[in-house]
Amino acid sequence: MHHVRIMLTITLAVLAFAGIRPAAAEEEFVTALTGKFPPFSYYDSQGDLAGFDVDMSREIARRINKKSRIIATEWDGILAGLLAHKYDAIIGSMAVTPVRQQSVDFSTPYYHSGAQLFVHRDNPNKVYSISECGGLSIAVVLGETYQHFLEERFPAVKVVTLKSAAEIFAMLEQKRITGFVTDRLVGAWQIKEAGRSFVPVGEMLYKERIGIAVRKDTPGLLRQINTALAAMEDDGTMQRIHQRYFGLAKTDSSALGKMQPSVIAAKLLKGFAVSLGIAVASILLGFILALPCGLLLTFQRGSLKLVHFLVRGIVDFIRGTPVLIQLLFVWLGLGLSPFPAAILTLGICAMAYMAEVIRAGLMSVDPGQDLAARALGLSSLDRFRFVVWPQAFRIAIPPLMNCVVSLLKDTALVSIISIPELIREAQSIISVTFQPRLYYLIAGLLFFAVTFPLMKLSSRLEKNIQAKGFSHD
Amino acid sequence: MIEVKNVSYTYADGTPAVQDVSITFPEQGIFAVMGLSGSGKTTLLNCLARFLFPQEGKILLDGQDILEMEKTAFRQQVGVVFQKLNLFPHLNVLENMMLALERVQGKSKGTAQAEAMDILERLKIAELADNYPAQISGGQAQRAAIARGLALKPKFMLLDEPTSALDAATTSNFAQWLRELQAVTSFIIVTHDLPFAEQAAELGVFMEQGQVRERGRISEVLA
Repeated sequence: MHHVRIMLTITLAVLAFAGIRPAAAEEEFVTALTGKFPPFSYYDSQGDLAGFDVDMSREIARRINKKSRIIATEWDGILAGLLAHKYDAIIGSMAVTPVRQQSVDFSTPYYHSGAQLFVHRDNPNKVYSISECGGLSIAVVLGETYQHFLEERFPAVKVVTLKSAAEIFAMLEQKRITGFVTDRLVGAWQIKEAGRSFVPVGEMLYKERIGIAVRKDTPGLLRQINTALAAMEDDGTMQRIHQRYFGLAKTDSSALGKMQPSVIAAKLLKGFAVSLGIAVASILLGFILALPCGLLLTFQRGSLKLVHFLVRGIVDFIRGTPVLIQLLFVWLGLGLSPFPAAILTLGICAMAYMAEVIRAGLMSVDPGQDLAARALGLSSLDRFRFVVWPQAFRIAIPPLMNCVVSLLKDTALVSIISIPELIREAQSIISVTFQPRLYYLIAGLLFFAVTFPLMKLSSRLEKNIQAKGFSHD
Repeated sequence: MIEVKNVSYTYADGTPAVQDVSITFPEQGIFAVMGLSGSGKTTLLNCLARFLFPQEGKILLDGQDILEMEKTAFRQQVGVVFQKLNLFPHLNVLENMMLALERVQGKSKGTAQAEAMDILERLKIAELADNYPAQISGGQAQRAAIARGLALKPKFMLLDEPTSALDAATTSNFAQWLRELQAVTSFIIVTHDLPFAEQAAELGVFMEQGQVRERGRISEVLA
C-alpha cells in the first residue's frame, strides 16, 4: 500500500509538471491511435493513415470546425500521452472500462464490439472455448482490456503480451501460440481480407462499448464530440463509415497487401532517415557534453571534487537505468515534444557512455607524458591540448565507435514516444502486408548497412593505434 | 653553474630521501650523480628539475634561487630527460622538438622546424626527423629525447638513468656521443651504471642513504 501511495504521488507530480505545458495548437483536433490495428487504423496503399477510426477522427474534426491531426503511437503508452497533453483525444477503438474511467472521460460509445477468442484453423490443441485454454498460450496486445480480463477471470491461461496485433497474427500463423483474444471485428476482418487461417471459437467473452477518450479537464470538448457523434448517427454518416470497412463486400480500400512497393520503400527509407537523423543529432550532443564530463570524471581530488561527484552520480544513474524509462520520463514527465525528447534523452545517454570512455582514455595516458610536457615548460592548457588529449582521443576512438553503434540501435526505442522511425514504419507495413519476416529483415539490414562499416572502421583504427604504440603499459 | 646548498628532502611518509646534500655543478662538462637504488639520487634530480621542493636548503642557478625564478624561464635553462624518455607518441621526432619551440618560445612553425632540424643535424640524427617514437630503437629514442630537451637550448640537461634501456655496445656509443655534445650544453647524469659514468663523465659524486659519500674526479670516486 505504501508503495502504491509513493507511485501515485510520483505519477501525480509528473502529471502536474506535464500539465504546465501548453496543449496543441488551438485550431487543431489532435487524436491518437496505433496505426497498426486494421481495419480500425492502418496505412493504405499510398502509405497514408486509413481505417474506421481515422475516418471517425476526420469526420468529428470537421464537425467541430477544427483541423484534424492524427498521431500514431504505441498502445501501451497511449493513455499516458493523453494525460500529458500530447493530444486531445484517443479515437483508437478504446473500450470503456471502469478503470480507465478513473483517469479519463469517454464519449458515448461509437460502436459496440466484443472480445473473441480466435484459434488456428487446424486447432491442434482442440480447444472450443476459453475455459479449455488452461496452461495454453493465448496472446493479447500489451495494455489491452483483454489482458486484464484473462488474468482476472481465467488465471490458468498463459497470457502472452505482444506489442501489436500484427505480431500476434504472425505468431498464430506459425502456431507458436494456441490462439489470441482480440476484437471480434478485427479478427473477422483479418480472416476475410487477409485470408488468415484463423477461426473464432466459443461465445464472445464479453461485450465492449468503444468510446472516445478525453482528459477530465476538457468537458467542453467532450460535449462537442458527443454532439457530433449524435449527429453522425442521425444522418447516417456513422452507418456509411461502418459499411465501408465492415460491409459484406470485400473492402476495396486498397488496404491489403496492396501497399505499393514504391510506397513501402519510401516509408522504410523515411523511417530510416528519421532513425539516422535522431542518431546523428544525439551523438553530436552526447559527444559535446561528454568532453567536459569525461574530463571532470578524472578530477577525483582538488577543488573540482564536488563537481566530480555530481557528474559521477549523473553518469552512473543514466548508465544504470533503462533508456526506455528515460525516454518516457522526458517525453511524458518533462512534457517535451517527441523529437526534442528523443534527441535529448539519447544524447544524454550517449554522453554518459562516452564520458566514461573519454575518462578511461585520459586515465590511460601515461602520467609521464604530462610530466615531460611540464619539463618543457608547456602551460597546463597546452599540455592537455597538445600532449594528453590527442593521445587520449586516439585511445578512445574504438570504444567511442562502439557507443555510436549501440546508440544507432537504441533509436529503435523512440517508436514508443510516437516517432515514426524505421521499426515503427516496418510494423505499420507489416500490419497490412502480413510479411513480418521480410520487413524485419529489411529493417535489420538497413541498420547493418550503417553499423557494419562503422565497426570495420573501428577495428582498423584500433590496429593503427596499436601500431603507433598508444596503448601504454 | 648550479649550486646545491644543504638540501634535504623528506617524503610525506617520513622517509628522508636526501639529507643535507651540497654539490656544485660546473658550467661545463658532464657530471655524474651515482649511487644504488634508494640512494636519493632521483629525488635530488627531481629537486633540481623543480618537480619537488626541498624542505631545507637552496638550489641556485647562476646565483639565483630556482624556486624564485619564473617557471618558464627556469624550464628553458634546465632540461630534463626522464628514464622512460616520455617522447610524445602521436608526434614524430621533429614535431616532438617543435612543440616547445612554438608553444613556449612562441616561434613560428617555420623557425621552429629549422631550429629543430639544425639540432638533429648537429646531433647526427637528422634521419630520425620524420619517425614516430614507436618506429625507432631504444638508443635512437634516447638520442631523440635529448634532442627534444636541447631544442630549448638549456644551460643544463638532467638525464635520469639514460642507459637503463640500452645494451652494453649501445651504451658505449652513447657515452661517446654525449662527450661530443659537451660543447652544446652541460649534462648532469643520474645513474647507477658506474661503467657508463666512467666512460661519459669527468666529475661526479657517489650517494648513499641520501648523502654524498664521495666526490671528485670519476676515477677517484670509483677507486
